[in-house]
Amino acid sequence: MGSSVNLSAIIVFVGFISLSLFITWWAAKRTHSAGEFYTAGGKITGFQNGLALAGDFMSAATFLGLTGLAFIGGSDAMLFTAGVTVSWAFMLFAFADRLRNLGKFTFADVVAYRLHPEKLRVLAATGTLTVAIPYLIAQMVGAGSLIEALFDIPYLAAVLIVGTLMTVYVVFGGMLATTWVQVTKAILLLLGGTTLLFLVLSQFGFSVDALFDKAAEVHPRGEGIFMPGGLYDDPISVLSLGLAFVCGTAGLPHVLMRFFTVPDAAQARRSIGYAVAIIGYFQAAIVIIGFGAIALLTGQTEYVSESGQIAGGANMISIHLSRLVGGEVFFGLIAAVAFATILAVVAGILLSASAAVAHDFYSRVIRKGEISDADEVRVTRWATLFIGATAIGLSVFFKNVNVGVLSTIALAIAASVNFPAIFLVLFWNGLTTRGTIAGGITGLTVVLVLVFLSPTIWVNVLGNEVAVFPYAYPTLFSVSAAFLVTIVVSILDDSERAQVDRAAYSSQVVRSELGELK
Amino acid sequence: MDAEQNIADDPAFQQLLATRSRIRWGFSFIVIGAYLGYGVAGLYFSESYATPFFGSSMPWGLVMGFCIIALSVALSIIYVRIIGRLEAKNLFAGRPN
Repeated sequence: MGSSVNLSAIIVFVGFISLSLFITWWAAKRTHSAGEFYTAGGKITGFQNGLALAGDFMSAATFLGLTGLAFIGGSDAMLFTAGVTVSWAFMLFAFADRLRNLGKFTFADVVAYRLHPEKLRVLAATGTLTVAIPYLIAQMVGAGSLIEALFDIPYLAAVLIVGTLMTVYVVFGGMLATTWVQVTKAILLLLGGTTLLFLVLSQFGFSVDALFDKAAEVHPRGEGIFMPGGLYDDPISVLSLGLAFVCGTAGLPHVLMRFFTVPDAAQARRSIGYAVAIIGYFQAAIVIIGFGAIALLTGQTEYVSESGQIAGGANMISIHLSRLVGGEVFFGLIAAVAFATILAVVAGILLSASAAVAHDFYSRVIRKGEISDADEVRVTRWATLFIGATAIGLSVFFKNVNVGVLSTIALAIAASVNFPAIFLVLFWNGLTTRGTIAGGITGLTVVLVLVFLSPTIWVNVLGNEVAVFPYAYPTLFSVSAAFLVTIVVSILDDSERAQVDRAAYSSQVVRSELGELK
Repeated sequence: MDAEQNIADDPAFQQLLATRSRIRWGFSFIVIGAYLGYGVAGLYFSESYATPFFGSSMPWGLVMGFCIIALSVALSIIYVRIIGRLEAKNLFAGRPN
């Protein structure tokens, strides 16, 4: 790779950074109040927000990671790509209206609507940070390594560039800048991915059949790549993986925060509808590109060794493929788009973490809501700066951490802590404050203990022979445990607060279905 | 609060709620059921999943996966339309508080 830094990569790279900084400058002039900072004043349209939502989820993990996964796991990649699409459709059906109608800035506004506000905000802020920080570090470490490999920039410098840019976007431009950076990147990624798909298909005379024939012909496992079970061969793992997507996506704080950037529930629905369509298209394209990579890269020892080792790691598959089918110029474009992807995603995550600290924790819990708008914005900007700097520091420190493990933990926590609380507060009249807190603590504990005992840490990191907990994803157990504890504790709860919590459900339902009564 | 409580007890609202719940959980059940069923069944019918789909080279497993993606997108579009139409009737707008 080393000296292969090419002109097209640098042009797109510098172009994107200049454009994003221009967007930030433009947004900064329009970002003064807390509402403008957290949710762009609720003025984003459904289509724009749909692109931004899709962009939030089409991270480097999806574009680079899933193509790599399809290359290694064949048909099993479909479990991931279909799971992603299904999870977004589910979020639309179950959450879109009610969340938008009840919340203001963050999902904590929703869980605090009828439950004890301070206690629930502490739980939601914890749920946000324990998801956002590992996710942020996973993306930044991934970005650092990728940029190091692509542009020959040292890891430390790469992390500093990414960290500084994301902090600048959020501190100055808030949600408005973050959204437009995300929209720009989503368009670039869709164009880049579609061109890659087109170029890959053109190698086979645009015959999908020829592509799959070739893949089965050259792969050492032959038609075995079409058989499920290569990555996960027991039902518990498959169900756990499925639940991680279905519940985890609907518990990601930076995604949920986007529900509040549009004017009303109708626009929230439309925006997620657009997001499902864009994500569905992109996920389907990734599967074809992945099998195209099997057909084209297998046996090319420059990229993949005889023993199946991929130069630069599995995340490099789409990058290698773009060079093979599109030459140096296209390779540069895709590399730069991958970089833009990471940058836009980390900015969104950073904003959600800052909102948790400044809005949920500081303004609502410590100051009990008695804080001026200007002060809240000032606190948020400082919180962003602090979290951004911490994330840079941690990414340098954890350079060798397994990015996949961190993302797994983040998604599992989102599924086991945030999802049960939101789901039950919206749909179960029996939920009480005590039950929600007990369930949240249970979900978090079970995830951390099970991930620690699972093969990913117990065997791969600590070097033990056999994992105490044999499955890669803890979600089937942790989500069930969180729901069970929340429900049982709520039913047994006979405190005075519990009666307030339950009594408020029916008017919450009216508000959540019809919006604010005018 | 009182206005909301009044609406909550209104039979028309309860009917709207029932309709929306049916759509919400019906659609969710279809996509999640199809997906988890597809994933788990793949373990027991892996041979069938690998057989080519009617004379093409694409295996059944992948065709079904693409169908689940398409189903999620289609139901999402239908959902946005149906709920939009329900909302347009707007039974409770303009009610005195």
